[in-house]
Amino acid sequence: MADRREYEVFEVFVRKKKTDAHVHVGSLNAPSPDIALTTARENFLRRENAVNLWVVPRGEIHETPCDEGDWFARELDRKYREVSGYSENGRLWKTYRERALYLEEIVQDLHPPSQGNRPRPRRERT
Amino acid sequence: MNQDARHAQFMERIERGEKIEATDWMPDEYRKLLLKLIHMHGVSEIMGAFPEKEWVPKAPTLKRKLAIMAKVQDEMGHGQLLLRVAEDLAAPLGKGREELLDDLLAGRVKFHNVFHMESPTWADAGVIGWLVDGAAIINQAALLDTSYAPYARVLKRICAEESFHMQHGENIILTLARGTKGQRQMLQEAVDRWWESLLFFFGPVEVTPAAQRMIDYRIRIKTNEELRQQFLNKYVPRIRSLGLTIPDPHLRYDEKQKKWLYTQPDWEKFGEIVRYNRGPKSEERIGLRRFAHEEQRWVREAMVRAHKMQAV
Ligand SMILES: [Fe+2]
Ligand SMILES: [Fe+2]
Repeated sequence: MADRREYEVFEVFVRKKKTDAHVHVGSLNAPSPDIALTTARENFLRRENAVNLWVVPRGEIHETPCDEGDWFARELDRKYREVSGYSENGRLWKTYRERALYLEEIVQDLHPPSQGNRPRPRRERT
Repeated sequence: MNQDARHAQFMERIERGEKIEATDWMPDEYRKLLLKLIHMHGVSEIMGAFPEKEWVPKAPTLKRKLAIMAKVQDEMGHGQLLLRVAEDLAAPLGKGREELLDDLLAGRVKFHNVFHMESPTWADAGVIGWLVDGAAIINQAALLDTSYAPYARVLKRICAEESFHMQHGENIILTLARGTKGQRQMLQEAVDRWWESLLFFFGPVEVTPAAQRMIDYRIRIKTNEELRQQFLNKYVPRIRSLGLTIPDPHLRYDEKQKKWLYTQPDWEKFGEIVRYNRGPKSEERIGLRRFAHEEQRWVREAMVRAHKMQAV
């Protein structure tokens, strides 16, 4: 390693909008973090917009084992954590002449598209 | 676990449709087949930028110049992404990007026949975008479901950009087709020049032992001939609809066999072109690549050294 002539590998993460998390898009070779950032823009953002970029030396990333599906195994039925686990609510509400309330409806009411309250991704660049 | 058991377990994963990652155990044969394929794909992207790069300074309008420049840049980008994937496969064999590019300059890795050929007119630039990219897109789209995950991920990004290349190429040739008599003539001549190369591009009709192994490992799913037939399906009607002729009197769709019959390209001639870099433009373009690779080595090394000194 002392006499490394080659570039280092950097993993690249892109944040497209301020309200999004960084997303891994691939990797590249670069001699330094500065040049890795420039190369990342050239390699991954020739068309797409973004507000922020991360480059991380590959050696600094810690990952779960790739070919051990067991690590993510779920021995129990996890329906109780999910919306789909409560589908009976709709039926139960019927007795009271009401219907189940969903998050989407609340979001929609608070951000009606006509009032322009929706996030405007193109403006967020600044 | 012994090698045979490991291999059997690997094949079970492949048959279950699982995707393999760079850090997973894999048979040497799998690694080498993948490396050969992706190495060739990567250097073909880079060499594929050359025939069109020649048209950047000569493009007929500013808009055309910007568009073809963007396309050339995309192809170089594809080369970067693919070589990155190849490097991770080559690392256990002690090879990095320098060596992978040295292989190109020393003729140890082949690149696609089409990129050894001349592009003397603006219509050639159009036909490359339309038909050469068209052929390459069929090849790449067929690989999207490859068993090697890092390759599949990069192909997804590449195919998204190729959809721009398709429209770009079609727009150039549609403009020429609606142009003057001289422009239509130029377009016809370009189609005549490229036809045989395009048929060769998909590779031999017979499934070679190496190709069969790639199918066994689900590195690729379709045969060369299936892809060539797909190309003919999509493009013969379009070429003809423009009033252009295809330089093959025997080309026809056989209803009974449900496939296109065509005159075989000169397998030997093109085989030599790709094996020994003996095409009309091979030497000149490899020369340019060598110039970039070798003359700028000191810059690359200086940047590595500068960063190391900063880090101390
Ligand atoms: Fe490409
Ligand atoms: Fe392309």
